[in-house]
Amino acid sequence: MAETDFLSQYSIQRWLEMCPQGYLDDTTYGHESGLTEPEDLLANDDLREASIALTVQLIAGERAALAASSGLVNAAPDHASKAFLATQTLDEARHVEIFTRRLIDLGVKEEDVDSTVNDLANPNLVKFAEVLLEKVGNGDFIAGVVGQNIVLEGMAFSVFELLQATSKDLNPKFAQTLAGTIADERRHVGFGENRIGSLIREHPERKADIERMQAEMSYHMLATFTDVFRGSGPTMDRERQAAAAEGRDLGSAEWHGTDVMAASTDDIEALLAGTVINEFKTRLGRIGIEYQDPKVPA
Amino acid sequence: MSKATDEQTAPAEEQGNRPAAAYESVPGTVQPDEPGDGQAPRRTYELEDTGFREVPKRWRKFYRVWQGPGDSLAPNEIICPVCKVVIRSHREFRPGDRAYCMPCMSRMIVVRMPDGTLGAEVIYQ
Repeated sequence: MAETDFLSQYSIQRWLEMCPQGYLDDTTYGHESGLTEPEDLLANDDLREASIALTVQLIAGERAALAASSGLVNAAPDHASKAFLATQTLDEARHVEIFTRRLIDLGVKEEDVDSTVNDLANPNLVKFAEVLLEKVGNGDFIAGVVGQNIVLEGMAFSVFELLQATSKDLNPKFAQTLAGTIADERRHVGFGENRIGSLIREHPERKADIERMQAEMSYHMLATFTDVFRGSGPTMDRERQAAAAEGRDLGSAEWHGTDVMAASTDDIEALLAGTVINEFKTRLGRIGIEYQDPKVPA
Repeated sequence: MSKATDEQTAPAEEQGNRPAAAYESVPGTVQPDEPGDGQAPRRTYELEDTGFREVPKRWRKFYRVWQGPGDSLAPNEIICPVCKVVIRSHREFRPGDRAYCMPCMSRMIVVRMPDGTLGAEVIYQ
């Protein structure tokens, strides 16, 4: 059977029916027209700045995904994979656009978007992207797809789910934006697992190199989580205290058995890191790659 | 959600119900019936659209979002191990069946898990 048999039902036409004519139909920048960022978020400088910092990390991650998926189009050894990656490239470009639009909605001037992203993008996230883009730049399709569609997308899948759970009640606009990206990620991780699942059997000699890349990317991912949660922890604590003092109910949001609206930032970081790592282990294990523990970030 | 019809007391052929082949299924879904295998006829289900919009309209009723704790799977449902979407069929799933997850393009075979529930293993081709 051909290596890309799993793509036999996939086509640009199918992508059109699933995305623009499916879950993105009637959306503007990924959400229902007319929805805005919550007034209390825009009026609170502390919260607004924390939201800008978080959104910058999403943009940085999506810019890396855009560079990687577009680079992999030319590295792909078959036409079916090229066509899929072309649709993924447009998905990633859309993600960059909708998160950039959110930055502007949060008050960043259009002409300041790039400098804001450059200033606030976490250095570990930048290194995470560099490890991946080096493989893509070398035309290494197998390592590039594992790095992009299993490691990066696997991380994004869990991060977006967590953010969506916390935004569902407090920020429907952001939650809707995330729902569309989660739907996109399903296809991307599906492509990664299925394409590499067959390829790695033909190239077992590549496993060691791929496992090294995964460990390096995981290290920078965990370090990014640590930095981001350390940075946002005080804001989150202040907001919770203010809400309690004013008698405002922030509600609850269960994610993987934990109420993330009540949990400490340390606990949320541990939950997110544990969830992503477990997913890596499961996904990589299914395709015959052994997950490698990274060095523990300082 | 799913409304079950018990084929056990109303075998398709004898009662004039639609034969198994008449039930629409997503391409890639294979649920063979082997005459004389000693198994009861499969239960059948009416599928309703649950608002899942990640596949073309024709196929939407065959998938739904897993709701997390508190949700449960009917006998005609399995979870895609790759993207966690619930895959649904008009007919009860059994070990050995093949299923296709259109949202993430994975093909899988239905297996009996150690805890007795039905699960799926991805087939990489």
